[in-house]
This record gives sequence, C-alpha cells and structure tokens, in this order.
Amino acid sequence: MSGGITVLRAGPLATIQDAGRFGMLRYGIAASGPMVRGAFAAAGALLGGRAGAAIEFTRTGLDFRAEGEVEAAFSGGAFSLSVNGEARDWNSALQLAAGDLVRVAPGAWGNYGYVRFGREIAVPLLLGSRATNSTVGLGGFGGRALVTGDRVPFGDAAEQGGAEGGGSATPSDAPVRVIWGLHADLFPGAMRQLFVDKSFEISTRLDRMGVRLARGETFPQAGILSLVSDAVVPGDIQILGDGTPIVLMRDHQPTGGYPRIATVISADLDRFAQMRPGSLVRFEPVTLTHALAAGKAAR
Amino acid sequence: MSEPLMLPTIVPLGDRALLVRFGTSLGERANRAAVAFARRLDDAAPEGIEEIDPNLVSVLLRYDPDRIDPARLAGELRLMLSLAEEEPETPGRTHAIAVHFGGEDGPDLDAAAEALGMSPSQFVAAHNAAPLRVLTTGFAPGFVYCGFHPKTLNLPRRTEVRGRVPAGTVLFAAGQTAITATPIPTGWHVIGRTDFINFVPDRSPPTILAEGDLIAFSEAGR
Repeated sequence: MSGGITVLRAGPLATIQDAGRFGMLRYGIAASGPMVRGAFAAAGALLGGRAGAAIEFTRTGLDFRAEGEVEAAFSGGAFSLSVNGEARDWNSALQLAAGDLVRVAPGAWGNYGYVRFGREIAVPLLLGSRATNSTVGLGGFGGRALVTGDRVPFGDAAEQGGAEGGGSATPSDAPVRVIWGLHADLFPGAMRQLFVDKSFEISTRLDRMGVRLARGETFPQAGILSLVSDAVVPGDIQILGDGTPIVLMRDHQPTGGYPRIATVISADLDRFAQMRPGSLVRFEPVTLTHALAAGKAAR
Repeated sequence: MSEPLMLPTIVPLGDRALLVRFGTSLGERANRAAVAFARRLDDAAPEGIEEIDPNLVSVLLRYDPDRIDPARLAGELRLMLSLAEEEPETPGRTHAIAVHFGGEDGPDLDAAAEALGMSPSQFVAAHNAAPLRVLTTGFAPGFVYCGFHPKTLNLPRRTEVRGRVPAGTVLFAAGQTAITATPIPTGWHVIGRTDFINFVPDRSPPTILAEGDLIAFSEAGR
C-alpha cells in the first residue's frame, strides 16, 4: 500500500514517536517516545486504538498534505486545526482525502501535539521501535526531525493497540508532584526546603532531552563533587554545577553524574512537559504510595 | 580497590523504577556485586519487572506498577540479596582492541603522560599492561567504562569539556579507559582511536561488549 503525507511546514523538532524503545538502557539508549504520553494515547483512542506511530510536533504546529485517503486523529495541548482552510475541532479524528491540506496552527497552551493515522508510518523498526531519539540521532525518520518537503510514507493498516486514553495534561496552578531523588540526602535541609518553597520558571531552553528551569540561584553551591554516574529516569531533576535545575525528559542521557534532588511523578510529567517558557512551577514532595495512586487514577 | 562493600540499599527512582545500590562511589567490589546481581536477575527476574539495567555500582529495575507493588518487589529483592554469597563473577569474554595512540587520534596523550611523570611510550605500555574489565555501558549508546588501572595511572578529568569526538575515541580519566561508540562531547583525556565501534543499531543486541568482559588493549600496527 502506498500513501503518506508531505510536510509543508514543520516547526522545530517535529519527530516520529511510538510508545518508546524500551529495554535498551543497558546498551546506553533511553526509551524516547512521546513527551506527552497521555496525548499520544488519546490520539490513538480517537482511532479506536488502531493507530500507527505519531508525528509529535512542537508549539508552532505542522502543515502537511495527505497523499492518499487516510484517517487521522489529533490531540495534545490546544492547537487550531483546519483542513483546506476549513476549521475543524482539535482532539478529533477525521477522514482525509488525497490532496487535503492540513494546517495545525499554534493555540492557547501546550508545547507538544500529536497526529496519528490509521496506517503505520513506514520507517524501519530500529531495536523494536520507530521512536526518534533526538539526542543520539537514532530511529524515526533517519534519526532526525522532519523538515519542509519530507515525504512520510505509510505502510500497512495500523494494528490494534491499547485504546486507553491518557491523563489530563491541561494547565493548572497545582504544584508538580515529585518524589525525593537519588541524591536528596546530599542536599542541606535548608536547600531542600527552598526547593519546595520556591517557584521556578520554565526557561526557553527546553527540548526532548530536558527542561532547564530559570531562577536556579536557589542552589548556589550544589556542586556536589565526584558523584558516581548512575541510572537516570525521565522526570529526574538534576542540579548543574552552577545551580541550574534541569528536569530530564524522554531523550535523557541513560546515566548521569550530576546530583538529582527529586523526580517528577509519572502522573504529572505530561502536564509538566506542556508548560511553556515563562510559566511558573512549584514542586511538591509526595510519597511513593501517593505517586502510585495518582498514576493509577491517571491511567 | 578493595574497599569495604556497603550493605546494598534499595531506593525508588521515581514511581516506575527501583535502584539497588551496592555503593555510593565507584569501586571494584561494588561494581562486581552490581554486575553479578544483574546476571542473577537476568536468569530469574521477579514478576512485574520490565527492564534490568546494570550500572557502575547499581542495578536499575523498571517495574510495571499494575503488576507488582514496589514495596513487595523490594522485599523480594532483599530476600535475593540476603541469599547471595559474594560469589566469584563468571569470567566474561576477552576482546582484543587495537588503538592508535597519540597524535591526531589522541591529542591529550602527551599531556596525560607528562602529568603522570611518564614518557608517551611508557604511558602506552603501562596503559596496555593488563586487561581491563568492562564496568558498564552507559552515558551514550555503546559507551563502555573499563577499569581499573593501578593507582599510578589515576588522573582526574580535564577541566574543560571538548566538543564532540567521533565514535571509536579512546578516553582516559579517573583510573579508567572509556571508548565512545557515537559522537559525544567529553571532559575525559582523548588518548587514541580504535576502529572498533561498540554500537551497531540494526543488530540485536546492539552492542558487542558486555559488562564483566575483559578488554586487552594493544597499540595498532605493532
């Protein structure tokens, strides 16, 4: 089967993502996968679970032309969607015909949106996954972000996958919940207290690897020297030598040697990923039991 | 490095993984204990474990919270740990790796040798004198940490980070030799280059070296 889409305009870092490349940490490869897992799942659920890999796009959206008939579903953040100039609902599935011009324009909130199709995206499976690891340049569309003019080919009809929706990532003033991290005990109590009391600002330096927080002067002397390099998980908040906190995201390095004060809980990582530069975030420590219950409620 | 082995601790890393730690600093016994424990888990993983990832002195276990409660998993891991004798690690395979030392391939070799009070050729001879163990793969795809050199070859990392070095770059710092398998920036001393690339993305598994394997370094063309 042929078909596909042609990219007419891609914002920075539009990548192909499936659920992720799991099981590869011991070879030095992070799982990658959607920055907003709930939105990726929601787009799949809109297609009744028969959805292929996604194109994940960033705040400025994505324009493309359908090169054949295909069903498409859109979710994640609030973007504005039109087909051949006619407005359509965001968070919806629609049937596209050959030649249809789809425009995803910036909207009210969110850093990431997803389009998934009723057909699988015909890029090779690499180590069991079509996800793009932007840090390494691995997988997806030749390991790189999509650019204007790229033709993304379709393969077979997508297989039936899990049809569960995702947790809500809608913006709220609620603090982002964390579990104290691997090295929390190495930070003086006063510094841990400041970490909880203070608001941090999402800086403009954010990508699939990590989100840098501004106002990091909370941790002037966080340079805890000669830590042994250890495993990293998405959501880990590491403090650089100059005191800057970074929340590590889906394309994180698999191991790291900077001190990590806390880890964002799974239930809140999607919401955090959608926070735009300039937003303020506060962190609230919770227990593992609380995090597990919140995760269950979000699934 | 015969540091005392601390009692292993089990800590949550977020709400989807536990980390079994055999040390809080890098040492040979802690590394061997982590590698051995990961092998035992590979052979018989408790229910609900999705991934086993041995690190320098720890083992990361990703679990599915719908299949196992982490408190119960931690209990089972503690039981496994308590039943463990410090058994000798099964020896891994030995790999011969030829390195082009110094020159354009290893711009930091002369300075590293000098800092250790050696001539470049003495340094290369000392570096290659005994095989090193692969301590772990991490930081980047196929990137291996190998150790340990004797104390006479202990040099801290450089103060400045160098821009991306190519795959196959041989690095030296902190009593270890590391080999890159993808282009990465590095703060280690760049001492040479090998044609051996420990990352083949379309192969499964994608790496050739495994933790516990031995590496015999030699000078290329000799």
